[in-house]
Amino acid sequence: MARAAAASQGLSWRQFRVMLRVIRKGEQHLDSTGMGLGDDVAEKRKGLWGRLGAGARKVAMGFLFLLLAAMFFMMGYMLGEAGVTPYLAFSLCVVCLVGLTVLTGLYQAVNILYFVRDLGYYLTLPVSATTVMWAKLVHFLGMSLLGDLIILPIGLGSLLAAGAAPGAWVAMALAFVLSAVAVNLALVIVCVPIMRFSRLAHDKDRFSRLFGGLIVVLALVIGVGSQFALQGDGLASLASGSGQLLSGGVPAVVMGILCPPSLLGRPVIEGDLPAALGGLLGMLACVAVYAVVLSAVARRWYFEGVQALQGAGGKRGRRVEGAELAQATRTRGAFAANLSRDWKTMVRVPVFFNQFVLSSLLMPLYFVVIMVVSGMVGVSQASDAGIEPMALLEMARSLTALLAFDSPALAWCAVGVLVFGLFLGFSAYSFTMGVSRDGEDFFFMRGLPMNWSAYLAAKFVAPFALSTVPMLVLIVVALVVLGVPAAPGAYLVGIYLGATVTLGLLSLGLGALFPRLAWDNEAQLVKGGGATLMVFAGLLVGVAVMALPALALLAGALWEVLAMPVALGLALAVFVAECAVLAWWVLGPCARSLSRRER
Amino acid sequence: MIRIDHVSKSYDGGATNAVRDLTLEIQSGEIFGLLGPNGAGKSTLLNMLAGVLAPSSGVIELDGVNVATDPLAAKRNLCYVSDSPDHLLRLKGHEFLRFIADVYEVPDAVRGPRIAELAREYGMEGELDNQIQSYSHGMRQKMMIMGALLPDPAVWILDEPMTGLDPKASWLLKQSMRRHADAGKTVLFSTHVLDVAEKVVDRVGVIAHGELLFVGTVDEMREHFKSNGSLEEMFLELTSDESPLAAEAE
Repeated sequence: MARAAAASQGLSWRQFRVMLRVIRKGEQHLDSTGMGLGDDVAEKRKGLWGRLGAGARKVAMGFLFLLLAAMFFMMGYMLGEAGVTPYLAFSLCVVCLVGLTVLTGLYQAVNILYFVRDLGYYLTLPVSATTVMWAKLVHFLGMSLLGDLIILPIGLGSLLAAGAAPGAWVAMALAFVLSAVAVNLALVIVCVPIMRFSRLAHDKDRFSRLFGGLIVVLALVIGVGSQFALQGDGLASLASGSGQLLSGGVPAVVMGILCPPSLLGRPVIEGDLPAALGGLLGMLACVAVYAVVLSAVARRWYFEGVQALQGAGGKRGRRVEGAELAQATRTRGAFAANLSRDWKTMVRVPVFFNQFVLSSLLMPLYFVVIMVVSGMVGVSQASDAGIEPMALLEMARSLTALLAFDSPALAWCAVGVLVFGLFLGFSAYSFTMGVSRDGEDFFFMRGLPMNWSAYLAAKFVAPFALSTVPMLVLIVVALVVLGVPAAPGAYLVGIYLGATVTLGLLSLGLGALFPRLAWDNEAQLVKGGGATLMVFAGLLVGVAVMALPALALLAGALWEVLAMPVALGLALAVFVAECAVLAWWVLGPCARSLSRRER
Repeated sequence: MIRIDHVSKSYDGGATNAVRDLTLEIQSGEIFGLLGPNGAGKSTLLNMLAGVLAPSSGVIELDGVNVATDPLAAKRNLCYVSDSPDHLLRLKGHEFLRFIADVYEVPDAVRGPRIAELAREYGMEGELDNQIQSYSHGMRQKMMIMGALLPDPAVWILDEPMTGLDPKASWLLKQSMRRHADAGKTVLFSTHVLDVAEKVVDRVGVIAHGELLFVGTVDEMREHFKSNGSLEEMFLELTSDESPLAAEAE
C-alpha cells in the first residue's frame, strides 16, 4: 500500500509534458513584488499598449539584455587586459551568480512554485506532486537561466582578451550553465521545506514585502557599490577575491554546498582537454545528485506546502463599532477621500509599496550615501595632498558665495539642477502609473459619482510627496551646507520644483489618457518590456518639459544673447507657465477623458 | 423612474451589437427583473444605465436626468452593484464604506448610524476592520450591497445581486428592495435565478441577443404563453433558438 502510494507520487513523463505545456501557456501568477519571473500571458492587451504589442516590448527587453551583455563583455575584456585570468573572471561570474540567486532567487522560486492562482486546481487533478513540481521547476529554470546568462559575458570577455581557443569558450559556457542549474536546484531544495513549515511564507503579503524590500535595497547597494567597484582596480580586486573564495576554507564549503560545480571550475577553464571533460562530467554529476535530492524532497513536502498555502494569510482585525466606527467613517472631501484610498492601496499592495514607496524613499538615501562616500574619498585625497578638509569646504563656499543673478554661474547651476531633474525622469513612471494602478477598480469607480479632477489631483500628490519632497529637503540641506546665498538658493529650489512638477503633471496626464487598466495582478504593471519602455519614456517627458527653460538658461550663459537676469527670469517664468497649462490640462481634459473611459 | 429610449450599444465598430434599439420604461415604485441567458446583453444594459458604458445611440434618463449629458447628477441618484464583488480589495470594510459615503456626500449624521445598521443586518459587524480581500465571495457581495444601500439613492441597479449571498442576506436584500419600491423609488435587477424573479418582481423583461423579447408581469407572461408552466419553462421557451421572438431578434 505504502509502496503504491509512493509510486503514485513519482514522475510521469507524459503528465510532465502536459503540465509543462499548460504552465507555459496559461498559468496565472500572483507575483506581488513585481520581481518574480512569471510571464504576462494572461494580460489583456488593449488601447495604446495593445497597439504597441508584445513584439515591441520583447524588442525593448532584448535590446536592454544585449546592452547589458555587451557592457559586461567589455568589462570582462578590460579585466583580461588588466591581467585577470579567465579562471578568475569565471570565479567572479559564479560568485555573482550565487550571490544574486541566493538574494533574489528564493522569492522567484516561491513565486513560480507556490504563488500561482491555478495551484489549488492542480491539487484536484490526478497528477503527482513530483510531476507538477518538475514541470514548474523546468519552467522556472528556463526563465531563470535566461536571466543568469547575462553574467556570463564577463568570463567570455576575459577569454577574448586571453585569445582563448573556441573550445575554451564552449567549456566556460557549459560550466556556467551547469553552475546556474545547480544553484537554482539547491535553492529549491531549501525552498520546499521553508514553504512547508514557515509561517512567514504563508502570509504572502508579508513575505512579498520582506523579499521585495530586500531586493530593492540590494539594487541600491549594487548601484552604490558599482560606483566604486568600477573605479581604479576595484573590479580586478573583486575577481581576485572571488578566486580566493573558491580556493578553500569555509567560503569554499558554503559555495560547494550552494553550487558544487563552482569548485570544479579550475580544471574546466585552465586544464587540458581530458581535465576539462572530467571537470564538466563532475559538474554534471553534481547537478544529477541535486536533482535526485530535489525529487525526494518534492515528493515529501511540495503538495503539503501547497495545501498549507490554500486559504492562508488572512489577517483578522478588531471589531469596530459605536463611536469608534463613527470616528473612522467621518466625512472627508473628494480629494481627501481619493488620496486616502490611493495611499492605502499603494502601501498595502507589496508590489506598489516596493516600487513606488520604498524605492522613492530610498532614492535620497542613495544620493546621501554617494555624496558621503565621495566626500570621504575627496577628503582622504585632499589630506594626502596636504589640504585640510575644512579648507576644502571653505573653498567650495567661497565659490558658491559668488552665485548671483547677474552671474552665468547661477545659470549653469540651474542647468545642473535640470540635468538632475532629467535623471529623476526615471522615476516619473510613479505618476504615469497613477491611474493604471487602479486596474479594474477604475471601472467600479466609473459607476460612482466621482469628481475626476479631485481623483487626478490625489494621484499627483502621493508620488510628489514621495519622490520630490525628500529630494527637496536634501537639496535645501546641500545648499545650506555649501553656503549658497538665500535668493540664488531659493531660485535653484524654484527651478527644481518647476522641473519636477511639470514632469509629474505631464506624466500623470499621459498616464490618464493612455491608462493600462487590464491587468490580472499588480506585478504586470511594473515588470516586463512595457514598464521598461515607460521608464525610458519618462526621460522623453523630462526633455519635453525642460527644453524651453534650458534654452532660456543657455541663451544667457552660453550664447549670451540674453542678459543673465532676463535669462534666469525667463527660465522660471516658462516653468510657471508650463505648470499652469499642464495643471489645467490634467484637471480638465484628462479628467473628462477618464469620466468617459470604457473597457 | 428609468426611461430607456431606442438605446443601442455596439462594439468593434458596429460588428458586435450587444444591445439593439431597446426601449423600456420602469416606473417609480416598481421592482423590475431583467431575465436573460448568458451573453444576452443584460450587463451591458445595466452598465449603460450606471454610466459605465455610453450608448452608441439612444437616450437613458434616470428620474428625468440624462445619464450621458449630466452623468454626475444621474449617478448621485443611483447606486449600482456590478456582477463582480471584487473591488477595492485592499481597503478595510469601514474604509470602503467611508469612501463610498464621501463620494456620495452622505452627511455624518446619516452615515454613522446607517453603516452600523447595515453591518448589523448583514452580519458584518465583526468584519469591518478586515481588508475586503480577506472576505469570502459572499461577504464581498454583502459589502458591495452595503456600499450601494448606504447612500440610499432613488434608483437601485443591481446586476445578479443574489449571487453568493447566504439565505438570510438574500432575504434581507429582497426585503430592502420591496421597502425601497414601496417608498416610491425604483429597483432594477438582473438575475438568473428565476424563482427569485417570480417572487420579488412587479414586472419582468426578458432579453436575448440584445433585444427585449417580452415585458410584463409574470401573470401576463403566463397569459401570453397560455401556459401553466413555471417561469423557468416559459423562459426557456422564450429564449430558445426555435422561439419565433428569438428568430425575429436575429
